[in-house]
Amino acid sequence: MKGLKYQMKSVLRDKFCLMTFLLPILVAVALNFMGSIDMSSLGELHFGVLENDLSPQTITWLERYGPVTAYGTQEELTDAINEPSTNVICVRADGDSLKTAISGDELDIFQQAAVTLPALYERREAAAQAEIQTLERPDILESVQGIFIPAILIVAMFMGCTFNAMNIISEKEDGVAFVNEILPMTPSQYILQKVVVGFLFGSLSSIVTACICFRLSWQNFGLMLALIVLSSFVAALIGLFIGRFSEGLMSGVVYIKIVMLLFLAIPLVCALIGVSGPLTVICNIVPSQPAFDGILALSAGSMGTAVKDVGILAIHCIAWFGLYVLLSVSDFCCLRVGH
Amino acid sequence: MGKGFYTLFKKDCRMLASGKFFLMAIGFLALYTAYVNLGYIRFMQMEPYNVYLYDPAETQTSKSSLVQNVPSMEAMDTALLADANGVGLDASSGDVRVVIYKGAEHIDHHRADYALSLLQPLASHTPEVLGTNTPEQKARKEITCELLFFELAAVGFLGIAAVMFKEKGMGVIRVHAILPVRKDLFLLSKLAVFLLSDLVFAVLLTLLNVGFVDGAAVLPVILLQTAILSLMMALVGLLCALLLKDFRQFTLAYLIIAIFVATPVFLSANTSVKFDWINWHPFYHVYMGLKNAYFGTAISPVYYAGAVGMIVLLFLVVRLAFHREIGKEG
Repeated sequence: MKGLKYQMKSVLRDKFCLMTFLLPILVAVALNFMGSIDMSSLGELHFGVLENDLSPQTITWLERYGPVTAYGTQEELTDAINEPSTNVICVRADGDSLKTAISGDELDIFQQAAVTLPALYERREAAAQAEIQTLERPDILESVQGIFIPAILIVAMFMGCTFNAMNIISEKEDGVAFVNEILPMTPSQYILQKVVVGFLFGSLSSIVTACICFRLSWQNFGLMLALIVLSSFVAALIGLFIGRFSEGLMSGVVYIKIVMLLFLAIPLVCALIGVSGPLTVICNIVPSQPAFDGILALSAGSMGTAVKDVGILAIHCIAWFGLYVLLSVSDFCCLRVGH
Repeated sequence: MGKGFYTLFKKDCRMLASGKFFLMAIGFLALYTAYVNLGYIRFMQMEPYNVYLYDPAETQTSKSSLVQNVPSMEAMDTALLADANGVGLDASSGDVRVVIYKGAEHIDHHRADYALSLLQPLASHTPEVLGTNTPEQKARKEITCELLFFELAAVGFLGIAAVMFKEKGMGVIRVHAILPVRKDLFLLSKLAVFLLSDLVFAVLLTLLNVGFVDGAAVLPVILLQTAILSLMMALVGLLCALLLKDFRQFTLAYLIIAIFVATPVFLSANTSVKFDWINWHPFYHVYMGLKNAYFGTAISPVYYAGAVGMIVLLFLVVRLAFHREIGKEG
């Protein structure tokens, strides 16, 4: 208990560490209160036209499909079309019909839209009379923005991992690790002291972030709490592994970088492309995947998936903790035999 | 002065080699190249919407070959559930009814009208092509630019700080205070090592991922942009290393930059999501300089003047911090 007190004291003295744990909370506040980011334009069609070229009716018709921007000169329009970050389709009048122009580097879906736009224009009246049945999709994100909040939560949990890893590595560099070996302390006491600081601050930061971002019922809040606590614990444990296997600061940073990339990239890719089958099992080996999936499920109101993800995270906790204890005990035994 | 610089340069190279810095850079080069060639290029594809038609009486005789027939409404539901961007057309009751899963309003209108147009296709229209890149070339240039930006920031920023903290710990700065060499050489030799390694990294990454022909054509401008970014990041890294207490604090600062500062830049520069305030973000201009170099777009002389001014300013600040540190150590 006394050791834990010293660990906490050292963190509280380090204002910079505290600021890092506060950062995800600040981002969550900014996202929540200072206006959301409009991600709806990502998959939309964008049209570029020349001023006074198309009739107002045609522009109104185009605006049904996506935003229309009017440019003063052909050069400005060509620059907008060739701008690599957008997929602007140039639309010009061609007698009673329309003609389109593209940059040629667009994805197939945008090229196809440019090919078919004149045909859509010609049969616009027939299309307006067709009956359209729109179905709701409960389990699919309404917008990509929904992915941002779980990503911030994952970062908040990851801070605990980084903190623990750097804590152990700097102890190794300063020689404190050798002192620890001769202290009257069992491996479990050592693990507890090391894991608790990153875990406590990582989970506190995530809980506050979650409270700001979500308005959950008590039942859902319980599940969210379970997801956060379990995944912060796994993240803190992974920090211990990184600290253990790093020889120096540089290699520690490389491991942290790789783990951070995996932690963020795998859940994001899975959420964006929708992974199924045996690949899901492989993705779940990365602890951030069930956490991310569970948070998304909770925000969509799907309790079953969230419970399943809590289960997967619990297995992660037991497996990683068991492995670390096993490694520590075997080291402890080796040390005793050595003495 | 030349000899002193050469000795310091050699010492820095040796330190980086012993810290497995070069090995790490080669490892990341291999990882990124594998990711671009085996993963990203295949992943970055968006096929046109699939259109499923349920037409038991076969009333739609002139439909396009892009329309897929389904045997029942259940089969159409299953197909739409698995492919939520697809469009269902139900022609079982005479008139054609469009069935879609709700998405963004504009896209829904387009999907429905596009699907209906495939039932009576007109003569196809070929759009005029104004650009020079194919979708694959664009994807390769875009991802290589992102990776180079991320890696330059990381390698320069983290690497120089790791070396600096190690030297601080070993008392090198204290020794340097009494050495008969110009104090600035200590900083210049470090900047030169990182600049050279970043330039080599940029050449290899560009040629391996953009392709030899396309890459070689834009390489000179890319190297100029790489030099600007590398010097800036290395100077910021040096400054942080001189001001911050230990490497742990520094890594946390790095995480903040990597995640929270770079994300809006990537979003604004690579997608149609544009933030009003992004022009105030210094990283945005540096990233756009690199991106314009990859796509062969003209870069404003104002940007170059600003970049040189920033590098000189950063160097002067770092020099001041270094002299203060020497004073403290002495």
